Amino acid sequence: MMPPTTTLPSGHTRIETAALQGISKRFPGVLANDHVNFDVNAGEIHALLGENGAGKSTLMKILYGLYQPDEGEITLNGEVARFHSPADSLTAGIGMIHQHFMLVPTLTVTENVALGIRSGGPLLNLKQVRKRLIALSDAYGLKIDPDVYVWQLSVGEQQRVEIVKALYQGGALIILDEPTAVLTPQEVDELFVTLRQMRDEGHSLIFISHKLYEVQDLSDRITVMRDGRVVDTIANHGVEQRTLARMMVGRDVQFQPDRPPVTVGEVKLAVRSLCAQNDRDLLALKEVSLEIRAGEVLGIAGVSGNGQRELAECIAGLRPATGGEVILNGHSILSLSVQERLQSGLSFVPEERNRHGTIGSFSVAENAILQNNDAPQFLNGPFYNFEAIRRYTVDLIQKFNIKTPGHETLLKNLSGGNVQKLILARELSRQPVLLIAAQPTRGVDIGASEYIRGVLMQQRSSGVAILLISEDLDEIMALSDRIAVMYEGEVVGVVDRDDADVETLGLMMAGAQRA
Amino acid sequence: MESSRTLLDILIAASGLTLAAATPFLFAALGELFAQRSGVLNLGVEGIMLMGAFTSVFVISDKGFNAHPAVGLLVAMLVGALMGLMMAFVSVTLQAEQGISGIGLTLFGQGMSTLLFRVLAAGVIVAGGVEKIDLPVLSNLPVLGSIFFHQDILTYAAFALVPISVWVLNRTTWGLQVRAVGQNPQAADSMGVNVARVRYSAVILGGVLAGVAGASLSMALTGVFQENMTAGRGFIAVALVYFGGWSPWKVMAGALLFSAANNLQIWVQVLDVRVAGAAIPPNLLIMLPYVLTIVVLIFARERQRREPAALTKPFERGEN
Amino acid sequence: MKKIVLVVLVIALLSLGGMTLAQDGPFRVAIVMPSSTTDISWSQSIYQGLLDVQEAMGGESAMEIAFTEGMFDVAAAAETLRGYAEDGYDLIIAHGTQYGTSLFDIAPDFPDTSFAWGTATDTGAEQGLSNIFAYEASAEEGGYVNGVMAALMTKNNIIGVVGPVQAGDALLYINGFIQGVKATNPDAELLVAYTGSFSDVAAGTDVANTHIAAGADVLTGTSQMVVGAIEAIQTEGGYWFGTQFDQSPQWPDAVVASQVYNWAPTLADMITRIQSGELGGVAYTLTLENEGQTFVFGNVAIPANVLAAAGEAAAGILSGDIEVARELPQ
Repeated sequence: MMPPTTTLPSGHTRIETAALQGISKRFPGVLANDHVNFDVNAGEIHALLGENGAGKSTLMKILYGLYQPDEGEITLNGEVARFHSPADSLTAGIGMIHQHFMLVPTLTVTENVALGIRSGGPLLNLKQVRKRLIALSDAYGLKIDPDVYVWQLSVGEQQRVEIVKALYQGGALIILDEPTAVLTPQEVDELFVTLRQMRDEGHSLIFISHKLYEVQDLSDRITVMRDGRVVDTIANHGVEQRTLARMMVGRDVQFQPDRPPVTVGEVKLAVRSLCAQNDRDLLALKEVSLEIRAGEVLGIAGVSGNGQRELAECIAGLRPATGGEVILNGHSILSLSVQERLQSGLSFVPEERNRHGTIGSFSVAENAILQNNDAPQFLNGPFYNFEAIRRYTVDLIQKFNIKTPGHETLLKNLSGGNVQKLILARELSRQPVLLIAAQPTRGVDIGASEYIRGVLMQQRSSGVAILLISEDLDEIMALSDRIAVMYEGEVVGVVDRDDADVETLGLMMAGAQRA
Repeated sequence: MESSRTLLDILIAASGLTLAAATPFLFAALGELFAQRSGVLNLGVEGIMLMGAFTSVFVISDKGFNAHPAVGLLVAMLVGALMGLMMAFVSVTLQAEQGISGIGLTLFGQGMSTLLFRVLAAGVIVAGGVEKIDLPVLSNLPVLGSIFFHQDILTYAAFALVPISVWVLNRTTWGLQVRAVGQNPQAADSMGVNVARVRYSAVILGGVLAGVAGASLSMALTGVFQENMTAGRGFIAVALVYFGGWSPWKVMAGALLFSAANNLQIWVQVLDVRVAGAAIPPNLLIMLPYVLTIVVLIFARERQRREPAALTKPFERGEN
Repeated sequence: MKKIVLVVLVIALLSLGGMTLAQDGPFRVAIVMPSSTTDISWSQSIYQGLLDVQEAMGGESAMEIAFTEGMFDVAAAAETLRGYAEDGYDLIIAHGTQYGTSLFDIAPDFPDTSFAWGTATDTGAEQGLSNIFAYEASAEEGGYVNGVMAALMTKNNIIGVVGPVQAGDALLYINGFIQGVKATNPDAELLVAYTGSFSDVAAGTDVANTHIAAGADVLTGTSQMVVGAIEAIQTEGGYWFGTQFDQSPQWPDAVVASQVYNWAPTLADMITRIQSGELGGVAYTLTLENEGQTFVFGNVAIPANVLAAAGEAAAGILSGDIEVARELPQ
C-alpha cells in the first residue's frame, strides 16, 4: 500500500497523517461537534458515517478551513496547522468535493480549474492549465472536455470536474462529501475505481456517506458519528450493515418497510402526452404518459434535472403545461387552479419543503392550516377559531409523531424530518386520491425516513395512488410497485418492481438503454 | 430657408456628437458592469457621477484651484473610489440590501454635491473643459477622420476601455475571479478566492469609472457644473448593463444606440422634419431613446440567461 | 434589518442640506422656487428682486426673506407653502405655475395672509378669493428685441434656439424671438429644438452642439439648463442671447445681451398694497414699458446698427407700433 516516494503523481507531498483532535464547535443552540477525534492516513480511505445533523459536515468544514473550531486542533504530520480559510487548507494540500458542487456554471471546465490557482500572477495562462488538466484526466481515466461550459455537463461529468480540480490543486488529502448522492449506479462504480487508484497512489481520502453498502464496499476504516460525537472508529473487516446502522441511529433500524400485498383499483391518475417547459423556457417534459391506480406506488427514478420536478409541478398546477392531458379521478384537471386541484383530491409534498411547502416564520399551527385556511372547520364567522386550529394541530402532532415544543413554535425551529412529517400530516389529513411525494426523505434523518416510508405504505394500503419521485434508487426500489425512469424529459421505460434490477435502471437513467 | 448641408454632412456631424454623448454612459456602464459581474448591483452610480462631476470641475475652475484637467480627473477618480468603497462596505461587509444601499448612495451624492456646490461655488461653475484632440494622421481621413478622430481624450479612453474590459474579464486572474464570485461565490470561496476582496475591488473600480463618467460629463462634454446635472444618466448606465447582457461590447452598442437615438431626435427637431406637413411634437421625440431602449430590452431575452446568478446576493460562508 | 435602516437613515439625513433660511424683521416674505437662487435664470431673478426691495426698504431689519429652493416636487412645495402660512409670513410667493393648484387650496385657509404666484394671471377673484396676487412676464417682448439683434449678428445666417419645454414664459420668449428674427432678416434659418427639461444641463449641451454642427453661430435659450449651451457656443466663438438673468459675467465672450426680469417694482408694489390692507386681486405683467424687463449688455462689442435696430424695436413695442404675438401662426 505504501509507495516508496513521498511525492504524489499530482505533484503534492503526501500527508502521512492528518488528525483532528478534541474538536468542538458550537452554533447557537447546538453543539455540532463535541470533542471529536478523527484522523486519516496516506493511502487510506476513511469513511465518515452518520445521519444528517450528526456533525460530519461541520467537522469536515473545519478541516477545510470554512469554520474555525471553538476547541481542539488540527495536526498535519504531527505539526499543528491553523486554517483560516480554504485558501490555507488548499495550500496545505487539502481539497474538498462538496455535496453541492462548487463549480461556476458559466465558466468553462478549464476556467473553473484555473480559478483555484493562486501562484499564477495577474494574467491567466489557460493553455497551460488546459494541458495539465488533460494530462490529469487521462491519468485517472476521468473523461472531460476542458473547453465546454460547466452548465452543459451532466451531474456525473461535473463530479469528474470536481475530482480533477481537487487533483489539480495538488490535493493530497481529499474530502468527498456524499459524492454518490446524485450518481447513477454505473457512475458510482466508475467513481470508486478512481478513488481506489488515488488511494493506492498515496492520497488520503475521507468519504462521507450515509449509504451503508457503499461505505462497506469502499473504505478501509469507518468512523461513525451521532449527535456531534464520535461513536466509534472501526476497521472495515466483516462489519455488518445492521451493526453500522445501530451505531448511527442508536437503535435497530428497519430498512425495508412492510409492503403488504394490495389489490390495485381503478386508474386514479392518467397523464397523457404531457409537455412543459423548464425555468429557462426549454422543453423539459416531452410527451410524458403515465398511469397510477388506487393502491399503487409509481416510482419515478432518474438523475435530478431530467424533468421529474417539472412533472410534479405540472400535475400539481404550479407550472403550465404546453400540451397533453392530466386526468385525476376521471376528470381533466389541467384547466383547474391549484386550489381546485387540491379540492379534487390531489396532495403534494414538494421537493423543496422550505421554499414551496412551508413558511419558516409561521408557527406549526399556521403551517398546518396553510392550504385549508378558509375551511369552515377553522372559522368562526369571519374570524379564525383558534381553539379549533389548536385541536387540529395537536392532533396532527400526536398522530404523526412530530417532535415540536408546541403548536405555537415557529416552523423554522423544527428539524427537517419533523417539517417533512408536518407537511405529510397536513397533506394526508385531506384524505387525497393522489399523493405526489417528491424527495420525501431527502435530508431527513433515518428515524424520520423510516416513519415517513411507513406512512406512505399505509396510504398505499388504504387505496391512495402515490407518485413517488426520488433520486435515491434504494428508496424507489423499496417502496414502488412500478418504476418509471425519466431521462431528458422523457419516460424511457416503465418496469415492474419485481422485474427491476439496479444495473438496468442505472443504464436507463444514463440514457443508455430503454425498456 | 434653403440650406446647403448634405445628408453626408449631417451623418458625419451626428456620428461625432453621438460618440461624445455616449462617453459618460460608457464609463459609468462599464464600471457598473464590473460591479455587477462580481455580484453587486450598485444603484449609487448617479450619486457618484454627480460627485465626480462637481469635484473635477471645481478643482480645475477659478473658484477652486485652477488645476490642470488631469488633476480634476484624478480627483473625480479618487472621490469615485471612496464612494465605491462606501458601497462595498455597506453591501459586502454589512450585507445590506443592495438596491436600498445604492439609492442611499445616490441620495448622498445628490445632497452632498449640491451642498458643496452651494457652499464652495455659490453659482454655476464654468470650467472651460477638456479640448478636443485630433489624432495625428487619422483625423485627416475623409469622413471617418472627423467622426472618430476629432474627439476629446476621454472619449478615446472610454472606447478603448471596451476591449480592455473584455480582456480583463477573460484573460486575467482577477477577471476570472470577478466572473466566478458573481455566479457562485460559494464555489469561488471553496477554491480559495477571497470573495469579499474581489467584490470590494470590483465595486471600487466601478466607483472610479463612475467618477470619471461624471468628470467627462462636466469637464469634457458640457464644461460646466450645475446642481443635479447628471439628470438620471447614472440610472440609464445601470439599465445599459442589463441592456447589454453584461457584455462590454453590447453595453457599448447600447450606449451608442441610446445616444444616437437621442441625437437623431434632436436633428429631427433642428431640421424641422415634418410628417405630412405637420411638425412632430418635441415631447414625443424626446421620448424616442427611452422607448427604443425599452423595446430592445423586451426583445433581448438572452439577457436573463446571462445575469450573474449571485447578483444582489450577499455572500456568507457556510450558508448553503 | 436594523443595520440597513440605520444606514439609509444616516445617508438620507446627510443628503438633506439645510435649505431653509429665516431671519427676523417686520415685513416677512417667504418664497418657494423650483430651482436654486444661483441658477442665473428664473429663480435667481426673483430672488435678486427680493434682495433689491429689501435694500430699498432698509435691510434685514425692515424686511425678512425666507426661501425654499430646488422644489421640483410639487407636493413637497405645497407642504412648505402651508408651513410658511402657519408661521405667519405676510407674503408668500409660489414661484412657478406648477404650484397653482396647491396655492388655491391653501389660500382660503389663511385669509389674513397674502399670496402671490406666477407666471399666471388668475388672482382667484372668480372663486371669491381676495388674498392672491398673480404675475407674469411678457417675455415675448424682450424675446423680440433679442431676435432683432440676433438676426443682424449671425454671419452664417443660421440661428439656433435651445428650448426647455413648450410652455410658460419659455415659450413666450421663444415665440417673440422668432418673430424678431423673421421681421429683421427673413433669409436667416431658424433651428428650434427642445430638451424636455428645465434642468438637464447636458441635454442643453447636446442640443446646442447639434445646432452648431448644423451651422448655427448665434444661439438663444431659456431656463436654468442653458448653461451648458452657453458654454458650447462660447467655445465655438459664437454669440448667445440670454433671458431672465444676466449671464454675461460667466460667459463674457459669448453673451451679447440678456433680457433681464426686474421683479423689484412688482414686488415693491405688492408690499405697499399689503401694508395698506390690500392683500391681493392684482395681476402684474412684467413688460418693457413698466421696466419689468430690461436689457443688460456684456463685453461683446455690438455694432451701432444692431444697437439702433434694438432700440427701434423696443420703442416700437412701447409705442404699440410693433405688436408681438404670444403665439406663432401655425
